[in-house]
Amino acid sequence: MQSPIKRSVSIITVCVALALLCGACASFGPKPWEKDLMARKEMQLNLHPLQTAAEEHIYFSKEASSGGRGFAGGGCGCN
Amino acid sequence: MQLKKKRAGQIRESLATFSASLLTATIALHADAANAQQEYYNPEYGVRNDNFGPGIAYTELGAALLVYKESGGRVQAIEPATDLSVHGPDGQLLTFDLVADAVSGATPNGAVPSDQTQTFVTPVKIRGASTGGGTTTVTSASGGSTIIHLPSTPGQVTTSARQYTVAANLLPMDKGFHDHRLAFSFGYEQPIGGISLVSFGGGYSQEQDYRAITGNVRIAQTFNAGNTTVSLALNTELDSSFPYGGVPTPLTAMNGQWKTPSSRDKTQAGFVFGLTEAMARRWLMELDYSYDAQSGYMNDPYRVISVVDHVTGEPTSTLYENRPNKRTSQSLFWDNKFDLDPAITDLSLRYYRDSWGITSKTAELSERINLSSSMYFEPSARWYQQSSANFFHSFLVGGQPLPTYASSDTRLENFTSLTYGLKLGVQLSGRTEVYVRGGYYQQTGNGHPSDAFGQLADQNLFAGSKAAFVFLGYTWDFH
Repeated sequence: MQSPIKRSVSIITVCVALALLCGACASFGPKPWEKDLMARKEMQLNLHPLQTAAEEHIYFSKEASSGGRGFAGGGCGCN
Repeated sequence: MQLKKKRAGQIRESLATFSASLLTATIALHADAANAQQEYYNPEYGVRNDNFGPGIAYTELGAALLVYKESGGRVQAIEPATDLSVHGPDGQLLTFDLVADAVSGATPNGAVPSDQTQTFVTPVKIRGASTGGGTTTVTSASGGSTIIHLPSTPGQVTTSARQYTVAANLLPMDKGFHDHRLAFSFGYEQPIGGISLVSFGGGYSQEQDYRAITGNVRIAQTFNAGNTTVSLALNTELDSSFPYGGVPTPLTAMNGQWKTPSSRDKTQAGFVFGLTEAMARRWLMELDYSYDAQSGYMNDPYRVISVVDHVTGEPTSTLYENRPNKRTSQSLFWDNKFDLDPAITDLSLRYYRDSWGITSKTAELSERINLSSSMYFEPSARWYQQSSANFFHSFLVGGQPLPTYASSDTRLENFTSLTYGLKLGVQLSGRTEVYVRGGYYQQTGNGHPSDAFGQLADQNLFAGSKAAFVFLGYTWDFH
């Protein structure tokens, strides 16, 4: 098992890395007049939430891992 | 989890009827209205030239049906679902989700196969059953289970139990598995002051033997001309498990007696730190780090593990499993969407690790290819690999000290899974879409571990599954 200190350090490291990434992202991205493609519905990261939820439910019931896109756990007793 | 066949059948039929009604009624009722809104759709550019979006109040309605079936007469499920999203003019969003499912079929009980017939006994409650001698055959989907009458012992609650046998060289499975679930969730979000989005939500899920209550809050801030969003979400969950037959004492022999306590709880808390970034005109990405801590009862109350003879490998007894009552997990999820006109590529990667010693890697790729302005297909593939939990054992060896924790659950062992899928979607109008997705899921693992000996060396000890599923969905946007 991971020690609490080691776990805390790894969490903080990841958060700091993400925060730095956020700062770096501040200069990225399309200009407002270049967002025509991004505005299309099919460019949504989770276009069909019901389908995503159903498939994550399948994987949650058959595998040890859960979460990533959202919270871990499935709100059910299938695993 | 255990239901009589008739009642389980009624539930399945009701769910099937409800699902069909939901889909057909939704489509029929809204087809005219959708057609009336056709004018907003611009087929020349293949996009929704509509006024649905920021600053406009509109509603999205979705309905779906999942049919899932594992090979070998194992688990099958039918799951209808619906969701409603109401968008306000100032960034408000109210969502409701409703999901039901009915599950049945055979499920591995965790014991190893043997070259001899094996017998297992579990609790059962028989209304009006005689407490006399003899046996009663259960004519149910449990496939040849019999009701036996237990000898009186001090403190026993029942005198009956369900017994099932497994033929030689077959994976032990309990064919009496039935369950149904109803889950409801909601959420609300809106901008508050200088914060781009504040949201909260909750959910409730009820099964025959399990209940889950969830709650979450989230804040998100968008900047860099709308290209960057960072968010922090907190989640909590309270689960209660009340297994049929009571909560078994870990690492004690499987038996047909009713157990105490009747229920145990589990709590969970976690957070997700997210970053969504429009990287370029054709590239959108999301990066999430999540952390979760669970505490409480995490055993599978129906799952057992075999104790085998140290020479022959023959099962000599069957014990209820035991898992640690604490678990923390972390995952890093990276999703990318690329517009490669006329295709849209979605590539996601996930790395997961937890305090039970499990690490996993997931990669998923889908390619949406537009056949016309209103039709597309989308092949997809998913690869998943996990290592085993540090307390996973396919079996325990007799004569050796019992470990503190032990589980033979396939979901906790080293395996790889592959999923292949194909989706076809059609826009019936600028406002409605119907899509169907078929998929095949297959787990592969090591059925002949190096520590298998005696008769175990000739058995396939991997209990992984293969499954096919079909998902039918419908969405409608309207003012």
